[in-house]
Amino acid sequence: MANNSESTSSGVNTPIEDSLLQEGYGDLDPSGYDDVHPYVDSRVQDTGTAAPAAQTESASSPVAAPSEGPSETDITRFMETTQKLEQELCSIVVGQERVIRELLLALLAGGHVLLEGVPGLGKTLLVRTLADALKLKFARIQFTPDLMPADIVGTTMVSEQSDGSSSGSKRIFSFQPGPIFANIVLADEVNRATPKTQSALLEGMQERTVSVGDRTRPLPRPFFVLATQNPLEMEGTYPLPEAQLDRFLLKIMVNFPKAEDLLRIIDTTVGTQSLRARQIASGDELQELIDIARAVPVATHIKEYAVRLLLATHPDQEDAPEKVRQYVRYGGSPRGLQALIMTSKVRALLEGRYNVSAEDVRAVAFPALRHRIMLNFDGLADGITPEHLIETIIADVETA
Amino acid sequence: MATLMPTRITAITQEPLDHESLAVALRPWRRRLSTQQVVYWTARGIVLGLILACLVLLIARFVPWLTAPYWAASIGVACAVVALGAALWLRPSITSTAHSVDRLLALHDRMGTAWELREQSAVLARLQRRDALKHLKKYTPAATISLRLRRSTLVTFAVLALAAVLLTILPNPMDAVAKQQAAFQGQIAQQVKNIDNARQVLAHQPNIPAAEKQKIDQILKDLETKLQQAKNETEAQQAIAQAQSQLAQLQNPDATSQMQGQAAAASSLQNSTNPGLQSVGNALSNNDSKSLAQSLQDLASKVSSMSAAQRSQLAQQLEKAAQQAAGQNAKLSAALHQLAKAVADGSASEIADATNAVEAAQAQDAANASQNDSINQASNSLQQSANSLASSTDNSVTKIVQGQGQGQGQGQGQGQNQGQNQGQGQGQGQGQGQGQGQGQGQGQGQGQGQGKGQGQGKGGQGSGGQGGGNGANNSQGKNEQVYVSGQKSSGTSTQSGDNSSSVQSGNSVPYSQVIQQYNQAAHDAVDNSNIPPDEKDIVHNYFDSLAGQ
Repeated sequence: MANNSESTSSGVNTPIEDSLLQEGYGDLDPSGYDDVHPYVDSRVQDTGTAAPAAQTESASSPVAAPSEGPSETDITRFMETTQKLEQELCSIVVGQERVIRELLLALLAGGHVLLEGVPGLGKTLLVRTLADALKLKFARIQFTPDLMPADIVGTTMVSEQSDGSSSGSKRIFSFQPGPIFANIVLADEVNRATPKTQSALLEGMQERTVSVGDRTRPLPRPFFVLATQNPLEMEGTYPLPEAQLDRFLLKIMVNFPKAEDLLRIIDTTVGTQSLRARQIASGDELQELIDIARAVPVATHIKEYAVRLLLATHPDQEDAPEKVRQYVRYGGSPRGLQALIMTSKVRALLEGRYNVSAEDVRAVAFPALRHRIMLNFDGLADGITPEHLIETIIADVETA
Repeated sequence: MATLMPTRITAITQEPLDHESLAVALRPWRRRLSTQQVVYWTARGIVLGLILACLVLLIARFVPWLTAPYWAASIGVACAVVALGAALWLRPSITSTAHSVDRLLALHDRMGTAWELREQSAVLARLQRRDALKHLKKYTPAATISLRLRRSTLVTFAVLALAAVLLTILPNPMDAVAKQQAAFQGQIAQQVKNIDNARQVLAHQPNIPAAEKQKIDQILKDLETKLQQAKNETEAQQAIAQAQSQLAQLQNPDATSQMQGQAAAASSLQNSTNPGLQSVGNALSNNDSKSLAQSLQDLASKVSSMSAAQRSQLAQQLEKAAQQAAGQNAKLSAALHQLAKAVADGSASEIADATNAVEAAQAQDAANASQNDSINQASNSLQQSANSLASSTDNSVTKIVQGQGQGQGQGQGQGQNQGQNQGQGQGQGQGQGQGQGQGQGQGQGQGQGQGKGQGQGKGGQGSGGQGGGNGANNSQGKNEQVYVSGQKSSGTSTQSGDNSSSVQSGNSVPYSQVIQQYNQAAHDAVDNSNIPPDEKDIVHNYFDSLAGQ
C-alpha cells in the first residue's frame, strides 16, 4: 500500500484517492502522492482504457531473488511476452517493424522515446496500441503554444466537500493531477509548446516525480513518455533543448511506409473491421521484464566498445574521426552510454541471446546517439546528418 | 532470429554446468589458433626477410659492399627466426581465443562473454555459458581454421626467392670496386703502420734536436690521420706529398755542401805528409768527433816542439785545407784558417781555441748531416708508401695524369772487399741511379769492383737517389692537384767508404718544365703512331690544355 502519511491540507483522503490507491498505485514509491483525481483537460484526450498498473494476475508471478537474478521462468516469460507483444503491434501498425522494434527496446529498457516523422504515419496509433496491449493508462497531450505546465502536471484547486452528517459543506484544497499521471504519455508535437511547458516534462521524465507547490508526487510506474515532433513544419516551433533531448532514451525516425505496406494499411483500416490490440501483459509484468533485461550480462570488451563509440562522438577526443572533429559541436552524454548498454541488453534478449554483443551496440547506436550529437555550423551548412556521423564512427571504431 | 527457443531453455539449464567445460572446449581452438599463428607469422617473417635480403643485394649493386650476401642471408634468417619466436612467445590466451572464435564463427561475443563470466553462478550466466558451448560445438577447429597459406603469399614468396637467388648468383660489378677499396684500406693500414715504425725509429735518433724531432713526428702523425681519413688514392697521395714537402722544408739545404766541404778539407789533410794532419784528415773524413779531438790534441802537443819552419809548413797545409773547404763549408774553413794561423804563431792558447773551433764546426756539420739523414729516411719511407699505394691501385678509376719526372739521385753504397790468402783487395764501384715513381725518382746503385793482388774485391751496392717533379693540372676549369708519375731517371751513384747509407733527395723540377717535356713526348708519340687524325687532335688538345695551365 501507498504511504498515506502525507495528506492534503485537510489530512483526510478522499474516496477517489482511496479508489485509486486500491487500483494499483500502491506499489509505487512509498513517498508517493495521495491527492489524485482523474482530470481531463479539453486538450488532453484520455483513452479511457486506463487500468491499474498492478493487477492481481501479475502479483502471482515469481520474482527472482536479487542475488540470483531472473529465474529460468522469468527468462522464458520475457521471450514469450516480448515476442507476442511485437507480433501484436506489428499486426495493428503496418509497415513500421523497425519502429516497433526500437520502441520495444526503449520500453523494455525503461526509457522515453522521441518519435520524429511526418503526420499520418501511425505514431499515435502505435502508442495507443502499445497501451492497449499492456493494458496501461494512456494519456495524449497535444502540445500547443498556449499549453501551460499546469495543464500537464496538474494543479491544486479549491473544492467543496460535504461532510454527509450535516447539511453544510467545507472547502478544501485538492490536487488535480494532470495527464502526466499516466503510464504511457503521448506528447504529440512536443516542439510546438513553449520551453517552459516543455520543461514541465523534464522532472517527470528523469525523476519520475512531479513537484507542484511544495509537494513532490511520484508518477505511476511504469511511466513512459513518447513524444513526437514533425520535422517539416518548423515555423513557430520551439526545438527541444539539448538537456531535454538527452532525457529521451531513443530517438526513432518514423519513415514513410512502402507500397506493399500501404496496401495492407488500406485493408486493415478502411474496411468495416476495427482492430484493437489484445492485452499481452500488464504494467507489473512490464516492470518485471524491464528488471529481467537489466540482468543480461555484458562483457568488459563490449562495455569498452560502447565507451569508445560514445567518446568518438566528441570532437575534442584524439580518437574521434575526422568528420566528427569537423562537424560536431557536442557529443553524446553519459546518458547516451546508458542508452547504448540498456537497449543492447534488451536487443540481445529479443534476438535470443543471453549476452550483449558488439552487433547489438552497433544496432542501437543510431537511435541512441542521433539526438545526442549536436552539429556545428559547418555540419549544418554542409547538410551532414548525425546518422552519417554515426556510420563513420561505427566504421572507425574497432570492436576490440 | 532467436537462437534458443524459450521452450528449450529449461532443458538446457537443467544440465550440470561446470565452467571448466569452457576451458576444455576452447583448448583445441587455442591449439589450432596457435599453430595457425606460427605458420602465418613464420611465413610473413620469411617473406619480410626475403624482401630485406633482396633490398640489401640490390643496394650492393649500386654501392660497394663486399659482405652484402652475408648480410642478406643473416637478415633473412633473422626475420624468419624472430617471427617464429614471436609467434611462439605470443601464443593466444584463452581469452583471446574466445574472442577469436567469436569473430571466426560469428557467435556474437558468446564465447568472450561466457569466458569472462565463467565464475558467475547466476541463472542467466549459466544459460549464457550453455548457449555459447552449444553454438561452439557446431564447429570443429580443423574445418574452421585453415593452415594453408594464401596463394598471394606463396606467389610473393616464390618471386622473392627467385629474385634473391638471381641477385646472388649474377655477377655484381660492384664487387671489384669493393675489393679494390678493401685492398686500398689494407694498404692504408699497412702504410700507417710503416709510418708508425718510422716515428719509432725517429724517436730513438740521438743526434737530432728535440724540437726538430717533434716537428718531424708531428708531420708524420698528421700524415697518419690524413691517410686514415683518405677516401681514395688521390687523397692519400696528396697527403703523402704534402708531408714530404713539409719534411723537405725541415732539411738544412747547406748540409750537403758543408759535408762536401768537410770531405774536401779532409782529403787535403789526408794528402799531407804530416802524420798528425793525416790523422785529423781521417777523423774529418770519417766524421768521427772523438778521433778528431784526439788528433787535434796530439797535433797541438807536437806543435810546441816544432821549429818555426815546421810550424809554417804545417800552417800552410792547414791553410790549404781551409781553402779547399772555403767555398762549401765556411765555418770549418774559418776554423782551419784560425788553426793554421795559431800553428804558425805557435801560441798554445790560440791553438787550443782553434782546435775547439774545428771540433765545433765538425760537430755542427755532423748534427746537420744526421738530421738530414733522418728526414731523408722518413721521406724515403713515405715515398715507399706512395709507391705501394700506387702499385696496389693500378686499376683504380681515379684520374691519374701521367707525366714526366726528372730525378737526380746520388747513390751511396758500401763496398766490401774480401781478401783471400794474404792479398789485399780494393774495390771500386760505379753506380747508376734510376728514378721512378710519381714525381720522385728512385735510383739504384750498382758497383763492381776489381781487386788487385791476390784479393778479390766486390763492389758495393748503392741505393739510388730521388728525383721528383710535381705538376699541377687544370681540368674543366677546376684547379685540381694531380700527381705526375715520373719516368725513369738516371742518377749517379758514388761509392763511399763510410758507413752512411743516407740517400740524398733529388731536386724539385718546376711543373711547367715537366709538363712541357711530357707534352712534347706525347705529341711525338702520337704523331708517330697510326692513330686517326681526329683522335690525334683530341690527344694534342688535351696536352696543350695541360701545358697552358
